[in-house]
Amino acid sequence: MRRFLDRYWYAYAMVLPVVVVIAVLVLYPLAQGVFFTFTNINEGNIANPILDRPATYDVVGFKNYLNVLSGGESFGAFWGTLVRTLIWTFSCVFFHYTIGLGLAMLLNRQVKGRTLYRVLLILPWAVPGFISAFAWKYMFNAQYGIINQLLRSVGLPDPVWLGQSNWALVSVIIVNVWLGVPFMMVALLGGLQSIPGDLYEAAEVDGATPWQRFRHVTLPGLRSVSSTVVLLGIIWTFNMFPIIYLIAGPNPNARILVTYAFERFFSGASRDYAVASTYGVLILSVLLVFATIYRRALRKQGEVW
Amino acid sequence: MAEVSYVKASRVFSGNPPVRAVDELSLEVADGEFLVLVGPSGSGKSTALRMLAGLEDIDEGAIHIGGKDVTNVPPKGRDIAMVFQSYALYPHMTVAENMGFALKLRGVPKPEIKAKVEEAAKMLDLQKYLERKPKALSGGQRQRVAMGRAIVREPSVFLMDEPLSNLDAKLRVETRANIAALQQRLGTTTIYVTHDQVEAMTMGHRVAVLKDGLLQQCDTPRALYDRPANAFVAGFIGSPAMNLKTVPITSEGAKLDGVIVPLSRDAIAAAGGLDEVTFGIRPEALGIVPSSEEGMDMTVELVEELGADALVHGAVKIGDSSQRFVVRVDGRTPPTLGQHVKVAVRDTTEIHLFHPESGERLEA
Repeated sequence: MRRFLDRYWYAYAMVLPVVVVIAVLVLYPLAQGVFFTFTNINEGNIANPILDRPATYDVVGFKNYLNVLSGGESFGAFWGTLVRTLIWTFSCVFFHYTIGLGLAMLLNRQVKGRTLYRVLLILPWAVPGFISAFAWKYMFNAQYGIINQLLRSVGLPDPVWLGQSNWALVSVIIVNVWLGVPFMMVALLGGLQSIPGDLYEAAEVDGATPWQRFRHVTLPGLRSVSSTVVLLGIIWTFNMFPIIYLIAGPNPNARILVTYAFERFFSGASRDYAVASTYGVLILSVLLVFATIYRRALRKQGEVW
Repeated sequence: MAEVSYVKASRVFSGNPPVRAVDELSLEVADGEFLVLVGPSGSGKSTALRMLAGLEDIDEGAIHIGGKDVTNVPPKGRDIAMVFQSYALYPHMTVAENMGFALKLRGVPKPEIKAKVEEAAKMLDLQKYLERKPKALSGGQRQRVAMGRAIVREPSVFLMDEPLSNLDAKLRVETRANIAALQQRLGTTTIYVTHDQVEAMTMGHRVAVLKDGLLQQCDTPRALYDRPANAFVAGFIGSPAMNLKTVPITSEGAKLDGVIVPLSRDAIAAAGGLDEVTFGIRPEALGIVPSSEEGMDMTVELVEELGADALVHGAVKIGDSSQRFVVRVDGRTPPTLGQHVKVAVRDTTEIHLFHPESGERLEA
């Protein structure tokens, strides 16, 4: 043991700062959050140094989990919200991927003004999120918004986009798709450019049609990029808070797990930190389970990760 | 099984001025023949092959395969198989899937694909690797898979684009022999592109030499070596390269460093009217002679010992300038560096004369 320290103290000294920073910024809050899920902590009983009030919350065991998982309306209708979160996540990632792939394939050809198109397509990414969110919010306005004006002018029904209906969810999905496509496009374009051109030529000589070349050369060639960006996309979208909150606000028809955790934490009469933390831990567990299954599925396909 | 013909086929790349990568190439390849296209880089040999594969447009002229005009037919309809320099194996497919891919696309029933893949694998000694991915194979094995992929399809023409250039020297020699033997056995018309003239000479039934998109000469390896059509072919074919020097010519012969090398009457007649000719002689047609005999004085600058023989590089004064010559000598008694030796032409029938400007071969 002594000799071990003598020999390696330098390496440990070098990693120590990072370990401390991660412990303070990640591990401690995480542990505290998990601890809060077993208490009834809220604004009324948390320690408040300004009012010189000591903490008076109690440990309540699994009560928060029972309340949330029973799916009661007063605890955010967990199962309904989870289903909505999944619809939100998978439809967003599906459209991100398919539209991103389509645009990447178009940009991967020799076309005039390719650089210009590329810049234009990356634009949604470059605009700060809240600006595009507000711009879209105005466009979705039921009476004066440009979208409904257009729909009316061609004689189509004009729904109240951000009202108390599932149109609210559709609206936020549309905005998030618009925002997320550039990232997928750029990542997939990089992937497309790394596929050697002679594979396409070999496939052509082998007698493959354009569709067969896409299926047997492009898609397998993109697999490692796709698997990474799809996993990232799912995690990001699952936890995508600002777009929904800025566009739909606390509209329960567009509510997903994170936005409800936020509502519980910052608004409402009681500021229920315990239930908000419980939501946080549940989101973490859902994503962990998902990532594990996803990785296992990839490994079965022979992907080294 | 099919014959191939290029009929004044050209490939012009747009630009200013436009680049004629392949310029009015006319070439007939007989059924079952092994034809090698050889040339330095940028000579258009790969482009010519890709035109035949359908991967490059044919801007002028036509290409026929098996008597059928395929100028505007996509690769799919040409019944060809190609081996790429990088092999272009599909990385996500196993060896067996790679080899059977073309048949699968054609809708051949699975048992039949399996039988054909196994047959080809047996021929190429790949049975053990059928379930592996290309990543887990060595360079030589990958090369054989690429060959197998071509064989399985039983095409009427094989196209090979420098298939050996990614192998190490020893494996290249071995694979060279294997490919030639395989082609003999299958009897399939084969067009093979290489920049390596040794490969061209050892493998091809006939060799076509290209330079700047123009066909220089197409003949058997022996004929290319013995009667190169111009100075470029003379210098390109043969290793080490032929000594090519521009020298004055008189009615007796060519003048080299005070020595007059006698030439045949036909040769002098063909050079009629010229003051100078490009005089070509292979290193093995020169020899070191005792100092008492007549010859050129050469100062030895470099000796490359190859075992069986040695290559002596040295400087000879021709006129006012010092010219380098290469002489092939017996490997056991090479001269030493800096030594002065006498060099003479051993065999005057092995002298090649070319026009000093056009480079065309003189004498009939």
